[in-house]
Amino acid sequence: MPVHTYLQNVERLGSLVTRSRFGRVVLLLMAVASFVIGFVYHTLAMQRGAESPVLFEVTQNISVLLGFFALWLLFAKRFNSRQSSPARIFWTVLVFGILFILAASLTTSIFRGDDPELIDIFQAESEFNNGIPRVLTTIIRSSLLSIIGVFFSLYALFRIRELVLFKRTKTSQRNWNFLMAAMAVFSLTFFMKSPQDESLNVLQSIALLPAVGLMVINSLRASWIVYFNFKQKLISISLSLVVLFCLLISLGMTSLPAPSPYLSDMFVYMRFYNYVLYMFILLTVCFGILYCTASLLLLLFHLPTTGDFQRREHERAVMHALTDLVNQAFDSEKLYSKIASSPVEAGSAVSAWLAVADVQSGSLRPNLVASYNIDSGYVDRVVDSTALYDEASSVGSSVLIGDALTDHRLDVRAGDGFGSLLAVPLITRDEVLGVLFVTKDVTHGFEQDDIDSIQIYAAQAAIAMDNARLFEEQLEKERLTRELDIAREVQRKLLPQSLPSLHGVTLAASNVSAERVGGDYYDFLQLDEDRLSIIIGDVSGKGASAAFYMAEMQGIFQSTSRLAPRPIEFLKHANAALSGSLEKNVFISVIYGLLDLKKEEFIIGRAGHCPAATINLNGEAKYLRPSGIGLGLDRGALFDKALQEERISLQPGDVFVLYTDGIIESRNSEGEEYGYERLLNALQSYRYEDATGIHEALLNDLNSFLGQEIYDDDMTLVVIKWHGIHLSTPSPKSQKSVTLSVPVEPTS
Amino acid sequence: MSNFSVGFRSGSSVEVLDLNGELDAHTASELEAAIQKCRDEQKHRIVINGANLQYISSAGLGVFMAYIEELRDSGGDIKIAALQPKVFNVFDLLGFPMLFDIVDTEKEAIEKFGVTQADD
Repeated sequence: MPVHTYLQNVERLGSLVTRSRFGRVVLLLMAVASFVIGFVYHTLAMQRGAESPVLFEVTQNISVLLGFFALWLLFAKRFNSRQSSPARIFWTVLVFGILFILAASLTTSIFRGDDPELIDIFQAESEFNNGIPRVLTTIIRSSLLSIIGVFFSLYALFRIRELVLFKRTKTSQRNWNFLMAAMAVFSLTFFMKSPQDESLNVLQSIALLPAVGLMVINSLRASWIVYFNFKQKLISISLSLVVLFCLLISLGMTSLPAPSPYLSDMFVYMRFYNYVLYMFILLTVCFGILYCTASLLLLLFHLPTTGDFQRREHERAVMHALTDLVNQAFDSEKLYSKIASSPVEAGSAVSAWLAVADVQSGSLRPNLVASYNIDSGYVDRVVDSTALYDEASSVGSSVLIGDALTDHRLDVRAGDGFGSLLAVPLITRDEVLGVLFVTKDVTHGFEQDDIDSIQIYAAQAAIAMDNARLFEEQLEKERLTRELDIAREVQRKLLPQSLPSLHGVTLAASNVSAERVGGDYYDFLQLDEDRLSIIIGDVSGKGASAAFYMAEMQGIFQSTSRLAPRPIEFLKHANAALSGSLEKNVFISVIYGLLDLKKEEFIIGRAGHCPAATINLNGEAKYLRPSGIGLGLDRGALFDKALQEERISLQPGDVFVLYTDGIIESRNSEGEEYGYERLLNALQSYRYEDATGIHEALLNDLNSFLGQEIYDDDMTLVVIKWHGIHLSTPSPKSQKSVTLSVPVEPTS
Repeated sequence: MSNFSVGFRSGSSVEVLDLNGELDAHTASELEAAIQKCRDEQKHRIVINGANLQYISSAGLGVFMAYIEELRDSGGDIKIAALQPKVFNVFDLLGFPMLFDIVDTEKEAIEKFGVTQADD
């Protein structure tokens, strides 16, 4: 729109000039000068008694218009940057309207004298002769009235502009600028026109049309009205009525006795002062009256709906305020009850409750975590929350039950105060965190805008829940880290700090935990000079609880092994002891062995653990896998029945390897498992080494297979070798304990 | 990150759970939720189809232990079918075949329920 751009450029230029103090002073001087010039011009005309030369007239007209334009810029500067409430603006415009009427009436009626004949002469029209004033009072009067008119019309225009452009759009802004332009164009068509000629020529009639049209369009922009409360509307209506009433009286248009019947004279004075100015002021006054009337009517129309609108605003405000609070609540419990209570407190619902899916417990049933103004037991009885929850979360939008009595998911009776229900899913990041249920005591109580506002609220509540959850997760994580540090320390102390020394036997053992705390356990107990009991175990699960069960296992081993050293006895005792304390889903797989050097035998019992690998000097390798169920899996006769032990007569050079599944199940980058085969093969290659050498070689073989030292499970490896001869002093090197407890970042 | 999932198939009187992927300490809760759901819906007869189960850890095995007693008390059971050899070995080492019916095919597992039903 080139016209529009041009108008905007004018506006920008104006603001450029008024930005500096100097510019403003110059503009003010211009306005004053134009006023002085006008005054002098009219005085000269009066003295001359005849029309002024055309050049004089043109100069005066232009100077008046320039002065007006200067004032316009000053007003624009004054009002463009102001932010006032619509009520204040509207009221001040009305009050100024009244003041304007009073001032104008006063100016036209003063110094009129009491002589009835004189009154006739002093009628405005007759004070001028061919557009030339007859007496000095006429000049003063017309100058004063013009100034009052200019000030009022500028003031009114800029204030009404704020109202029209309240919640402005591009279109409304453009319409306003067009109105200003149309008014200016129409007024300018009266340039140099004789004030005695009141009729409109064709051009002027055409120019009037867009001005009137734009006035109507602009006067319909009164969106500020809906934000008024009842009291503000009443005040506005009364004030508008007063203004219109004053106007009518002043113009002598009522049968009431007018305090001043001369207001219509005001416009005559202005016309004779300057036709263009007069037209602009007239248009402004007309627009002001039009706007005032339109607003009055709109106010009257909106009066009955004020209550509803205010209620909705209040709801929104309450919801908003509570959401802010909700954003700060990191305690889930508090947050839940806040989410449930807010819609009720805001008046959007009669009762509400919140259900969330309890992922932690693994249940897919929603949990009712908070309710407000309704008993949760009652809700559980009468509402099929699961069905509604599933529907709302699968559809991803609200489920509305208009009539609670007829819906199959609700089992309510009339008189329960349960009319309609709305289930709104709380969704954030594409995840349903819960469902908010709100009810009303009437059927079909939720209108679309109720649903909308509750949905907006639900979206915010979801974000708050998400925040709280993340916060709690972080806390939990930190708490867990601390806990795990303690558990790790405990676990480290539970593993043997040194290896026992027996004649003719070498031992080596190591443990690596994938996570801070593993579930692997191994231990030795020297029963006497010739007997050693050995245990290796794996507690199902990981973390602190695994460490706890490991501690228990260690206690059982250290105490029971002495009393019941034989594998079957020991494992039966251990199972019985653990049955009372293990969680249902926790079990421990172990291999327990008793090495008897006097009898030269090794007896092992296996409770669900990976089979022990063994090899003799000839290279005959195999797995020892006597039957047996994991500890804690069966807590009665079945365990005892299944349990067997295997007895091996020791030959010099026999090697026994005990390990946990972490070794066998270790996978390389291609996803291939180390497996049972490889373990035996490696054992074959290094069977001549002592326990430490074999242990080291096995770990090297495993690491070279994996290609990197990243473990995703705990790995424990125990190697026992019977050398057959009583080594007089066991070499410290061969007795080296390789107890590692290296936490490696979990790879999963 | 979870590469484990449970699929539900409802038969006439038996609920079949298809396990896919790797069942370890991190994914055990999903199987737990699935079995709890069956329990809550009064479906006490559960067949686990392990044809697509690639791996199971001790924590995964623990899930079966957690519910078996309760399910059996309410007249149901968990029967395990179609395990891959490597996975079966893990069950086997721990002695699960003594505690659970572990069979080759899903059909067999369902039939096993039929037999017990007839026995009832």
